[in-house]
Order: sequence, then C-alpha cells, then structure tokens
Amino acid sequence: MSKNDERHSGHVWNLAELLERVDNDQELLRELLNIFKEDFPQTMRALQSAVNAEDLKNSSRLSHTLKGMLSSLGAIRAAAAAAKLESLSSAGETASLEGAFNALEAEARRLLPELEAYMAEVWH
Amino acid sequence: MKILIADDEALSRRLLERTLGRAGYHVIAVENGKQALEQLCKPEGPRLALLDWVMPELDGPGVCRAVRTRSEQTYVYMVLLTSKGSKEETVLGLESGADDYLTKPFNAEELRARLRVGERILLLEDRLVEARENMRFRATHDQLTSLLNRGAIMDLLTRELHRSHREQKSTAILLGDVDHFKRINDTLGHIVGDEVLVEIASRLLASVRSYDFVGRYGGEEFLVVLNNCDPAFAPGRAEEIRKSISNQVIQTAKGPLTLTMSLGLLLSSEWRVKPVEELLHETDNALYEAKAAGRDCLRMAKPSTPVEVAPTTSPESARLRH
Repeated sequence: MSKNDERHSGHVWNLAELLERVDNDQELLRELLNIFKEDFPQTMRALQSAVNAEDLKNSSRLSHTLKGMLSSLGAIRAAAAAAKLESLSSAGETASLEGAFNALEAEARRLLPELEAYMAEVWH
Repeated sequence: MKILIADDEALSRRLLERTLGRAGYHVIAVENGKQALEQLCKPEGPRLALLDWVMPELDGPGVCRAVRTRSEQTYVYMVLLTSKGSKEETVLGLESGADDYLTKPFNAEELRARLRVGERILLLEDRLVEARENMRFRATHDQLTSLLNRGAIMDLLTRELHRSHREQKSTAILLGDVDHFKRINDTLGHIVGDEVLVEIASRLLASVRSYDFVGRYGGEEFLVVLNNCDPAFAPGRAEEIRKSISNQVIQTAKGPLTLTMSLGLLLSSEWRVKPVEELLHETDNALYEAKAAGRDCLRMAKPSTPVEVAPTTSPESARLRH
C-alpha cells in the first residue's frame, strides 16, 4: 500500500470520524490536537523507558493510556499498535515488547506529519 | 443534570467533557477513581457517571462496587467506558454494579442515547422515592390535622422515655381534651368540628419547641410530649398551652367560637420506670380530674409513693397540686 493510499483509506488518521465526534467543532479539535502534541511524546518517552527496563506493569499502563488517546483521536493503526503492546505487556511477553514498541513508533511517524499538515492547513 | 466523568487520559476526558457539555449536562471531570468516588458520595453529588475502566488509584469497577455498598442513598446510574471487548470482561464490569458499558472510542449519538436511558431510570427512582415518602407520611400522620397519629407519637414517646431515663432527664406528657367538643359537632356540624380540630392542632404546634412532639391521640384528644423538660417549668408551659386555646376565638364557617381545653400532665422523673401505656393511663386520670374540677384547667398525675427525686419547689406547681 503506498503512502497516498493509506491516507485515503483513513486508517492512519480517520479525520472524518473525529470531526463527527467533535460535532465539527474546530475549536475543540484544535484543543484536542494541542493536548495530544503535549501528552503523546511524554507518554511515549515514559513507555520507552518502561520497555527498556522490562517493566511490564508500567508498559501495560502507559500503552493503555496511549491506546485511549489514539483511538479518541481516530488514529486507528497507531491505536491498534498500542493495544498490541498493552496485551503483550499484560501477558508478560517481555521478549516481544521491543518489537511492538518499534511498530508503535513507526505508526506514530506516519501519523504525526498528517496531524501537522492538517494543523498547518487549517489554522495557519 | 450533573454528570461525572472519570478518565485519567486528558484527551479523551476533554472530548467527553465537551460532548456532554454541549448536550446540556453539568459536567464534573476527574482524573482517577478515588476522586470519582468522593464526588459520587457527596450529598448533592452527580447521579449519572461515566467511568473509565482502567484508572489509577481505583478502577471503574472498583468505583461501582464502592458506590453500590452505600445504602439508603439515591441511586447512581453508572456507565463503564472500556476498550476491552471480551464477554468475560463485560460480565465482570456489569457484576461490579455498573448499569451499562460503552466501548471506546465512543460514538456521540450512542453515548447520548445511553445516558437518556440512565435519566429515565433516575426519573423512575425519583417517582418511587416520592411515593414512598408520601406513604410514610400518611402512615405516621393524622389525615385531618397533619399531626402525628396515635401510633407514631406513641413510638416517639416510648423512645423519648427511655432516653430521658438513661440521661436522667424528665419528659413531660400532656394529654389535652377539647371541652364540650361533642356539642360543636352536634349543633354546628362535623365540618365546623373539623375546622376547630385543625385550628387547635396548629395552636398546639405553635406553642411547643421544634423538638417536642404533638399528636392526635383520639377524636378531640391531643398528646403533647415536651422532651427534656425541666420539671420546675413543665406546669407553667402546660398552662401556656391551655391558654393558647382559650385566649383567642376560633374562626369557623359558622362564626367565631370560644373553646377551652382540659389537660392532664405527668412528669416522667417523678415516676418509676413504667410501660408507656401505664403512664398514659395515669395522665388520663389527671385529665379526668381536670374535667371533674370544672374544665379549662390543668391537673397533674402524682405517684402515691413518690420516688426519690428532688421535690419540685416552684410556687406554680405547688399551687396546682392542691
């Protein structure tokens, strides 16, 4: 699947679903994206430390938080990657954590430019 | 209507807050289960709650369980928010005491519809509570005068006598009977008779303190219980109650009437512990004496062998005894 196709499929970021959820409230959307820009990198850093330390409890908790944040935002693929990491952490699959974290990071790298592009397009 | 949102994740919490605010709810948003429980336990706290399943301090099912263990409080309708999908977890959530659950990310329309279900249930509860309170009032109050009925005031008197004995205080029992009431019913009719009873009830209530009891004991007989009443002052207070009936005419549909009341008074501290029925029988004997003495007066019930209590020395009670 090319990058362009993914964008159209809405799996990286389902903007239509999010707009429906906020009832087309641009101000709220902006506020949510700002919360995301602040909270997401912080939580990712904490999650990376937990994964590196093989701290299953925190890895499970933080990936759960990311899953909620990402799914509220309509970032379907990244939310699924966070869900995967959460279930591996809960199941005690220490050996698989790093791979799952890398997959989540890869999804984040696709998602963030889309959010940035939207914010630049709409508000700047 | 107030609604509580508990979610530790800021973005989802804000999204819910705005969605529900726009739907007309007064939103209280908190970050963990402990804060949620505090809000829900407040006297005027929210009765609708959206609780995230996984939260620090106390999780959603934990909040549900804690809320459900409180008794005698208004019902809280709780919806769990979960990204968990398995049947086992859904069952676990509902068995913890949640009324419903929603899977995240939520759909705004579905969320609002499910909250309306909650509101319907709360409205139903309000109606049931109101009906129960009405029944409770009717079961303990006299329909005509709204005073306590005989059963209710007897229960309260029994409890009060135990308490005053335990605390070595005195309870004054006052039994009053409207003089020549039968004549009013016979000559002016029952409607006027009822008017008189209602007016007398309100005068009796007005002449006692908020923590005293006034009940309708029988047809035109009233029972007044003066709680924790100093024996030296009881006869004076009884006299005031007697005068509150006679010192002002009662307005009725058939014109103004002058009425009087005869009273029997008993001070519990002057008596050994006896069943409430026996004490009331003694009070009734005193009332009978007041009637025999010409009505519109007060007589006290005295034990034939007084128990060892400090004698009442007020001149008024001494005068009344003779």
